[in-house]
Amino acid sequence: MASTSLPEKDVQPVFHAPPTPVVPSYFNPVSPFFNAYDRFSSWRADLGLPHPGSVENLQKEVKATHLSNYIFDGARADLTKSLSMNPLFQVTHSFALGSQTAPSSYNFGAVFANQTVFMQGSVDHEGSISARFNQGWSANNVFKAQAQLSQQPDQNMIQLEHDYQGQDYNANIKAINPSPVNLTGIYVGSYLQSFTKNLALGVEALYQRPTPQNSELALSYLAKYTSTDKNWIATAQVQPSGILQATYWQRLSEKVEVAADLQLLSAPTRRDAIATVGAKYDFRAATFRAQVDSTGKVSALLEQRFVPAFAFLVAGEIDHFKNAAKVGVGVMIESTTLTPEEMGMVPPP
Amino acid sequence: MPSEETKERISKVIEVGRTVLHYGWIPLIIYVGFTRSNPQPSLIKYVFPILLFLFFALTVSFRLISPLA
Repeated sequence: MASTSLPEKDVQPVFHAPPTPVVPSYFNPVSPFFNAYDRFSSWRADLGLPHPGSVENLQKEVKATHLSNYIFDGARADLTKSLSMNPLFQVTHSFALGSQTAPSSYNFGAVFANQTVFMQGSVDHEGSISARFNQGWSANNVFKAQAQLSQQPDQNMIQLEHDYQGQDYNANIKAINPSPVNLTGIYVGSYLQSFTKNLALGVEALYQRPTPQNSELALSYLAKYTSTDKNWIATAQVQPSGILQATYWQRLSEKVEVAADLQLLSAPTRRDAIATVGAKYDFRAATFRAQVDSTGKVSALLEQRFVPAFAFLVAGEIDHFKNAAKVGVGVMIESTTLTPEEMGMVPPP
Repeated sequence: MPSEETKERISKVIEVGRTVLHYGWIPLIIYVGFTRSNPQPSLIKYVFPILLFLFFALTVSFRLISPLA
């Protein structure tokens, strides 16, 4: 996928430009500004600051460690068929049954991806479509679009996004349900800049315009501190209206990662806080996640891979304060029409 | 500011585009996947499942519209 490739840029050799001879050009009147800009950017490149990662992925490590994004209840089965590896083309049939929170569903998905384009679509049994499209214009510029379309016209969502990765910064603009007729919609702009080797600071602006008459601008401030050996990351996101989210992630060893997350809401009408602590263990053929939070929920998820093409999932959650429990079991089966050579795997001798 | 007529035309174009996306996106991915894949999958293998699917879809839709069912 084009958007996830964040190559660590090597420190480029510094070129000290020789004094340029004055060539007649239409740009001569403004060339001092160009020279100043060139000197500023070479001075900035000399600092060798790392790329801070995108604002969207600020809490990526925490989200991958916690099981909130992975837990399910009831029974589910995912059947994946890979038809091609490079470019990637696979189709998925997903079945979900007996969940307490969501009705039973069938979902068909298709993914196609090559070096520059990523296309994903899924349709459920009610005819709702979700679509994602990413196009990498260059190594630094990625355009993303996603849409959710259903039979009810008020549940449609379209999001257009452009992401630019600079050498030591990341800029992103996003439009959710933009209407070219009266410019209503939600617009988000974000910028994250590395200030030292470890610290990156950023700002995110959210501009909401639900009707042409009223609009609202909300700013939030971001900070990310990465340790020098990249073994721990702390992030914070503050909205002046009274929301603070702070996270901490640490890799304890090759196989164990822990993460903590604190969300504080301090509005005049409502005060609330949730703290979550979780751990993830990666075994040779299994992944185990466990998590406890301050609302009294204890949950765990085991993903056991018996053979490379067959995985078995068990999920459980106990809510001690509400005295409720949820259990989920699932299977993931992958099949392919490809031979091991075509998949790029070398068969064992 | 565009006139009312232009606004209406833009809204209509968006609505048509949304409908095309709704019904065309997954067929497009499958078409692109089948034509660009390496090695190219043979479609003969899928003829029987597709026929089976069409048979069932037709049966179900016939039962739904038939007044006797």
